[in-house]
Amino acid sequence: MHPNEDALNAFADGSLTAGEAAEIERHLGACVSCRQLVDDLREILGATADLDPLEPPVRVWPRIERAIRLEQEHAARPVGAEVVAASAATGDRGAAAAGRYRSLRWLAAAAALVLASAVGIRYAPWRQSAAPASQTAAAGGAEIAAGDAAQSVESELRQAEAHYENAIKGLEQIANAEQNALDPRTAATLQKNLAVIDQAISESRAAVRSQPANEPAQQSLIENFKTKIALLQDTVALINEMRKGNEAGAARIVSSLKEKGE
Amino acid sequence: MDLVARCRAGDVDAFETLYRENAARLYTLACRMAGSPEDGEDLLQEIFLQAYRKLGSFKGDASIGTWLYRLALNHCLDYVRSRRAKMNKLTETLDAETSIEPTARRETPIARMDLERAVERLPEGCREAFVLHDVEGFDHKEVADLLGIAEGTSKSQVFKARMKLRGFLRGR
Amino acid sequence: MRLISALLLTALAAARPALAQDEPHRVVVRDVVRGVTHGAKSGAYQGRDRGSEQTDRFSRKVKLGRDGRVSIGNISGNIAITGGSGDEVTIDAVKRTRGDQGQLANVRIVVDDRPGRVDVRTEYDSGRSRNNNVSVDYTVTVPTGASVEAKSVSGNVKVTGVRGAVRTESVSGDVTTVDTPKVEAAKSVSGNVMLSGIQNDGELSATSVSGTVTAKGVKTHALDLGSVSGDLLVSDVTCDRLTAKSVSGGFEYSGAIARGGSYDVNLHSGTVRFVLANPPGFELTANTFSGNIRSDWPLTIGGDRDRDPDANRRRGASNRSMRATYGDGSATLTVHTFSGDIVIAKR
Repeated sequence: MHPNEDALNAFADGSLTAGEAAEIERHLGACVSCRQLVDDLREILGATADLDPLEPPVRVWPRIERAIRLEQEHAARPVGAEVVAASAATGDRGAAAAGRYRSLRWLAAAAALVLASAVGIRYAPWRQSAAPASQTAAAGGAEIAAGDAAQSVESELRQAEAHYENAIKGLEQIANAEQNALDPRTAATLQKNLAVIDQAISESRAAVRSQPANEPAQQSLIENFKTKIALLQDTVALINEMRKGNEAGAARIVSSLKEKGE
Repeated sequence: MDLVARCRAGDVDAFETLYRENAARLYTLACRMAGSPEDGEDLLQEIFLQAYRKLGSFKGDASIGTWLYRLALNHCLDYVRSRRAKMNKLTETLDAETSIEPTARRETPIARMDLERAVERLPEGCREAFVLHDVEGFDHKEVADLLGIAEGTSKSQVFKARMKLRGFLRGR
Repeated sequence: MRLISALLLTALAAARPALAQDEPHRVVVRDVVRGVTHGAKSGAYQGRDRGSEQTDRFSRKVKLGRDGRVSIGNISGNIAITGGSGDEVTIDAVKRTRGDQGQLANVRIVVDDRPGRVDVRTEYDSGRSRNNNVSVDYTVTVPTGASVEAKSVSGNVKVTGVRGAVRTESVSGDVTTVDTPKVEAAKSVSGNVMLSGIQNDGELSATSVSGTVTAKGVKTHALDLGSVSGDLLVSDVTCDRLTAKSVSGGFEYSGAIARGGSYDVNLHSGTVRFVLANPPGFELTANTFSGNIRSDWPLTIGGDRDRDPDANRRRGASNRSMRATYGDGSATLTVHTFSGDIVIAKR
C-alpha cells in the first residue's frame, strides 16, 4: 500500500496539490522506506540545483578560431580574383596566376575539409558498455544481451574506423599535394610524426582485433585516430598560413605595380 | 561598436569574447545532454561554428546569450535524437527495474563530482528529460515539446532518472 | 630618400594625437632598406659557402604605453623579447644573407603602429620566401606590462621578463619563456618548448609535435600539454585542471594537485608518472592495454562506487583497468595508456 514511485517523486519536487501532498505526508509519517526514498530524492534535487558549470578544455577555442579564420579566407575570394586579373594583365605572369588561382580553390577545399573533420566522430564503445553494475536482468537474458551488445559494439567500431579513415584520407591528400609550401625540415618532421601515429594506430588496431571487448584497446584506437586527424589539420592549417604569407607578398607586388601604372 | 556587431563584421577577437562569456554554460548543457565530456566538447565546437555562421540571422529581439543557448539546445537535441535511433535497442535490453527497497543510509552528502558522473551514466531517454527538467529548469510541458514526447512521458522519464541516480549514489 | 622618410615620420608623429581621438588609425611605416652593407663576417658564418655574410641593421623605437600589445611575426630568424622599464618598444633587427647583398632589399621589416599596439613583421618581396636566403633576427624590448604575440617559422623565440599575456609560436625553432608569468600559449612543431616561472589564473597551453615540452615552476588554473613524439615534463607545478596527450612521448608531473581538480592524461606508449608530495584525496581511473599500474599511495580499489567486485570481470576488462581511491577521492585522475606504464609516485 505504498504510494507509487511517481507519486513520491511528485511529492518530493513539490508538484502535488495540497490535498495529495497531505495524504502522502501521512503515509510517510509511518513508513521508513518511503521516507528514506523521499529524503534521498530531495537530496538529489538539492544537489542537482547546486551543480556547477563545467569548464571546457583549453584546446576548444583555438580549434574554433582556426576553423573560423579558414572560413573567412574562403569567403574572401574577391581579393584573389583581383590578384589573378591584375597578374593576367601583366601578361607574362600567366603561369603564376594560374598557380595562384589553383591554390585559392585549394584553400576553399581545405577549409571545408578541416571544418568537416572538426566535427567529431562520436564513438566511445567503452562508455556505452559501462552500464551500471546493478543489473538485475535474468542471467540468460543478460548473456544474450551482452552478446548482442558486443557484436553491435564491434560493428559500430568498424563504422567509426571507416569514418575516421575517410577524413584522414581527405586531409592527407591535401597535405601531400601541397607539401612544397613547407620547408623540408618541417615537412620531414610532420611525416615522421604521422608515421609514429600510424604505428600506434596499427598496434591498437591489432589489439582490438585480438580482444574485441577490451575497452582500453578500443579507446586507444579511437584516440589515435583523433590524434592523426588533429595533426593533419595542423599541417593543413600550417600550409595555409605559409601560402597566405606568400599570397600577401604576391598581392603587394601586384598592387604596387598597378600603382606605378605598369 | 557593440560586441555582436563586431562579431558579425568578422572580428575574431570579439567572437572570442563571446565564446569566453558563454562557453561554460553551453559546454555544461552539451556534456550533460550528450552524456560525456568528449561528446560535449565536440558539440561545443560545432555549436560555436554554427553560431558564427548564423550570426547574420540574430535579430536582437533576445539577448545574444539566450540566442546562443537556444542554438545550443537545438543542436544537442538533434544530436540526441539521431543517436537515440541507434541506441534504443541496446539500452532497453540492458535496462534494469528499480524498486522501493530499504537501503542503507548514506554517510556523506552527495559530492558534486559523483552526481555529475552519475548523470553522465544515465541511460539515453531519461537523461535528456532529467537534464532539461531538473537541471535546466524547463517544466514538463516544455520538455515534452522539446523532446517530442508526451507530457506524461516526460514526467515518468524524469522520475526514472532520479531513481537511477539514487541507485548509483547508493552507499555514498 | 632617408631625409624624406624622416620628415614623413615627424609629420605623422605630430598628427598622431589628433588621430588618436578618432577610430584607431592605421599608420604604416615602411622601412625600405637602402642596401647599406656592413660586409662584416659574423663569427658563426665564417668560412661557409658563398663567402662573407652580408647584414643590414634596422632600428626603431615606438612609444606604446605601459600595457599595450606587441606582435612580432618573423619567418626565418630568431626573436628575443625582453620586458623593460619605460613605455617604449625598441626594435633592433639584423638582416643576414650569405647570398649577394642585393637580396637584403627584398626583405622588409614592417612596423604597424596604432594606438595601444605595435605590430612588427618580416615581409619578403618574392612569392617564394623559402627560396630567399635572407634571415632576420629580432631583438626587441617592450614595456614590462605589455602583452606579446611572437611567432617565427624557422627561428627560435625567447621571451624574458614580460608580465602581460604572452602567446608564442615557432614551427621549427625552440620556444623559451623565462620569468614571464602570463604565458597563455607556447607552441612549436619540431622545436622544444621550455617555460619557467608561470603564474597565471587562466590557461596555459604548451605543445610541440616532435619536441619536448618542459615547464618548471608553474601555477595556473588549466594546463594543456601536448606532443606526438616528445615528452611532457612539468615540475614544481600546481593547477586545477590538466589535459595531457602524447603518442610515443612520456609524461611526468611533479607537483601538487588540487582538491576537486581534474587531471586527464592520455598516452600511447610512454609512461605516465605523477610525483606527488602531499596530495589531497584523489580518485584514480586508470586503464591500459598492456602497461602496468603502480601507486606509492595506498589505494582503495573500487572506491565507493563499484561495489560489485565481479563487475570488471563480467565486462571483459582485464585487470589493467581500475578505479581506485586515495583518501577522500576529491580530485580526479583519469589516465589512459596503450602500452605505457602508469605510476603514481610519492615524492
